[in-house]
Amino acid sequence: MVQLALFALFAPVAMFLAIAVLPPQRRRGVLAGALSSTVAVASLGAGIAALLRYDGQPVERTVTWLVHHGRPIASVGVFLDGVSLSMMVVVGLVAAGVQVYSLGYLHGEPEPHIGRYFAWQSLFIFSMQSMVVAPNLLQLFAGWELVGLCSYLLIGYYWTKPSAAKAAVKAFWVTKFADMGLMAGIIVLFVETGSFDWQPGLAAPVATAVAAGLFIGVMGKSAQVPLHIWLPDAMEGPTPVSALLHAATMVAAGVYLIVRAYPIFEAAPGVLAFMAWLGAITAFVAAVTAIAQDDIKKVLAYSTCSQLGYMVAALGSGHAMGGYFHLTTHAFFKALLFLGAGAAIHAVHSNDIHDMGGLLKKMPWSSGLFLVGTLALIGFPGTAGFFSKDFLLEELLEAGQLVPLALLVVSAGLTAFYMTRVFSIAYLGDPSPAAEHAHGTPATMFTPMAVLGVLALGAGYFGARLAELWGFEYAFHLSALGLATTGLGLLGIALGWLKYARGVDVVPSLTGLRAFIRSGPVDTFWDRAWRRGLLPTARGIGWFDRYVVDGLINLVAWATLRGSEALRKLQTGRAVDYVYAVVVGLVIFAAYGTIAR
Amino acid sequence: MNEILAQGPGPGAWMLLAALLFAIGVYGVLTRRNLVAILVSVELMANAVNLNLVTLSRTHGSLTGQSFALFTIALTVAEVVVGLALVILVHRTHRDIDADAPSRLRG
Repeated sequence: MVQLALFALFAPVAMFLAIAVLPPQRRRGVLAGALSSTVAVASLGAGIAALLRYDGQPVERTVTWLVHHGRPIASVGVFLDGVSLSMMVVVGLVAAGVQVYSLGYLHGEPEPHIGRYFAWQSLFIFSMQSMVVAPNLLQLFAGWELVGLCSYLLIGYYWTKPSAAKAAVKAFWVTKFADMGLMAGIIVLFVETGSFDWQPGLAAPVATAVAAGLFIGVMGKSAQVPLHIWLPDAMEGPTPVSALLHAATMVAAGVYLIVRAYPIFEAAPGVLAFMAWLGAITAFVAAVTAIAQDDIKKVLAYSTCSQLGYMVAALGSGHAMGGYFHLTTHAFFKALLFLGAGAAIHAVHSNDIHDMGGLLKKMPWSSGLFLVGTLALIGFPGTAGFFSKDFLLEELLEAGQLVPLALLVVSAGLTAFYMTRVFSIAYLGDPSPAAEHAHGTPATMFTPMAVLGVLALGAGYFGARLAELWGFEYAFHLSALGLATTGLGLLGIALGWLKYARGVDVVPSLTGLRAFIRSGPVDTFWDRAWRRGLLPTARGIGWFDRYVVDGLINLVAWATLRGSEALRKLQTGRAVDYVYAVVVGLVIFAAYGTIAR
Repeated sequence: MNEILAQGPGPGAWMLLAALLFAIGVYGVLTRRNLVAILVSVELMANAVNLNLVTLSRTHGSLTGQSFALFTIALTVAEVVVGLALVILVHRTHRDIDADAPSRLRG
């Protein structure tokens, strides 16, 4: 099992090195793509085989790293249990699907660019898997930063486009800003316990400090309000990248971190309550924002924010598994939605939903799969999203977090509304002029979508199996809460369909809301904080550094220079003077020797 | 009286002579500006040391000092060779053997 996991981990990085180092592959992108996606599929196979061999006993295999005074500070290795193995398969599956899909999606791009793209894709698989199997927080942190780097590189894939370059830098800065909190949490943990382990049994104040630090990192990576601003901009990357990194796996890394470090979070009830509230607010705000978007990828990005909010809120209930279940199903249906959107963009050459229109007639199969993803996201009864959303809401009800719960239930209705809006405008009705020439989806793009579609429909029925794997009890039962949520979802669908497919004015005009969201209130806030807070502080520190720190050093240098200017006159260059010096020195020493005796 | 004459001067007298020679050498090095004269003065100082070595060797009845003196004589020869070579070079560069002529090392 360990060997299989190691293969799943290291095969992609070997592929990355091969593509990055060997020139013919780097330049010949199609070859690189074929090799890279083969390795990704093999890596997925190894991951699945490892999961099938899992017998319920967690395995940890580590090597010592960083020895200090003969005592190992940290180790690297693999920690395999139900949680990490299933995450490994989810990551491997979406990554392999996305790589195969990219073969079709990037067809016609310049070859060296394709080579670069697949090199980073392979590096991403390694980074993400090394984070998933991390036996301690330090290795997780390393993987965390590596996926951040891959995210930066892949968002900036179209780096000649200024907006893409800006988006990449923005994503990097915002997540790094949050990572300072994560790092602080890890440092506090190490200082207090002397190790980076998951289960240190901390006292409440320490646990609160550590958990708060870790959660700040999660807010950046998993795009929680108000640090979510980078995720919509990250849609500048190619659509398969958005599907893999910015929907299914990388942004879920924060949620995964909380699940892994749950013993720490459980000891910090204050942080848990904060998580429940912030997650619910994120889910609600992002769902409202998604209504006002015309770019199909932006809608999906805000929807990702919103769903991550669900997961974080559920983790705040004190039970780790509802959020984790939703992470798993969300990975399938959100990746499917992005791949579906990618197929539409590929066909229409535009991101705007108003340019699409009537795609259902032009490309029925991939449109059907998009509909499957939409229903799973809405939580339509029977789909994967229905089971996981219902389960996490039940957890919050049990924990008594009623206000966050109410926000999440309302957000479920909003989710149904905005997704129905997108589907009605882009897929129903008569084909728009741009969609007239829409061509079919190639097999490389369609196959991964079909696989994800099956999972988005069926993953929910494996809830009991997954629960057994993760070590808890789960049995589906329909409650009043589930009925209410489903009812709200159906209402959202009905309203969205009536308004956008039929043109009936069932809801008030959203012009005011759209104008407010277009003005980008959160971005403006951060911009002001940057201009008025951070920049003057940085200038002040810069002034201190330039004139005080550097000034002291320059003063020393100046004094040395002046002093040596004066002292150099001693060197007359005349031999006789040196002889005088020798003789005078001799006399002084002789006199000293005589007196001292 | 004859015995005293036959014995010759005692070690004190020889060492006094050596000190005198050394002082003359120092004076010469300090005052003369001709490089050759300075070399000669250095020779005087070296031989003052030799004289001391021989005197003390005899006083203590040990041969160590005398062998040292022999070594010193050989070394002095080498030193004079190097010194004279330098003097010739100085003369070639400056057309002068004044000790103040080479002063390019001044600060």
